Amino acid sequence: MRAQRSGPKSKPELGAKMRLGLVVFGVLMAIEIIEYLVGTSVRAGAWPFLAILAAIGAWPIVRYFMHIPQLWQREE
Amino acid sequence: MAGATITHAVHNRLAINRLGLWLFIISESFLFSVLLSSRYFLQGVRRPEEVNQPLGLAISIVLLLSSLTAYRGEMAAAYGEQRRFRQNILFTIGLASLFLVGVGIEWKEAFHFFPPSSGYGTLFFTLTGVHAFHVLTGILALLVVFFLGRDGRFTKGNYWGVEGVVKYWHFVDVAWVFIYPTLYLVS
Repeated sequence: MRAQRSGPKSKPELGAKMRLGLVVFGVLMAIEIIEYLVGTSVRAGAWPFLAILAAIGAWPIVRYFMHIPQLWQREE
Repeated sequence: MAGATITHAVHNRLAINRLGLWLFIISESFLFSVLLSSRYFLQGVRRPEEVNQPLGLAISIVLLLSSLTAYRGEMAAAYGEQRRFRQNILFTIGLASLFLVGVGIEWKEAFHFFPPSSGYGTLFFTLTGVHAFHVLTGILALLVVFFLGRDGRFTKGNYWGVEGVVKYWHFVDVAWVFIYPTLYLVS
């Protein structure tokens, strides 16, 4: 049996999803650049900040790109 | 009554697929966690000056961009936009290949400055090597999805193959989000 899903999906909805992807990408880029600046300018003791920034960067990917809420929601 | 039963069974199948994939991803994240922690256990926060930080940033951006195109490809498949779906999957494959080229350049430099026989070299080549292998398997999976999609195997209501491969691809990206500062920035 194939895993199928139901429900109509419209074009404006798709446009909104695509924009969301761009916003998430923008946030990820900003985090990555801040991370780089911290890593290259702070000589010592930067690792806690880098660890926090990495965790902050991973969350939007898991939440919006990997759709983790699907695990406890019936259908997205 | 029968229709409701079928819908319920179909939903369960999708939920089981997703749960299975997430369990696989969690098991994979343990592997990366162990490798990342070994960096701090064996080398502390020491890092050779020769690590190419700008190149690390460049390949990170390429990988993040590939996550965006993978997401767009999945969304296009979900909404039945076949052409857009195939285009974005193809972009993702291209960016992933570019990432591997970047890793290759980095390896060439690393062999000279901190070879695999050195302490940092062992960690660097193991972490980037294991990750690059995941990228390579991701490219193969994306190629399978691309060719199946070209044959019209995915439709609006049936695109689990795309969703599964794209989720795996995002996981490869998440792993890099932690590997990048650990190898290139922490000092």
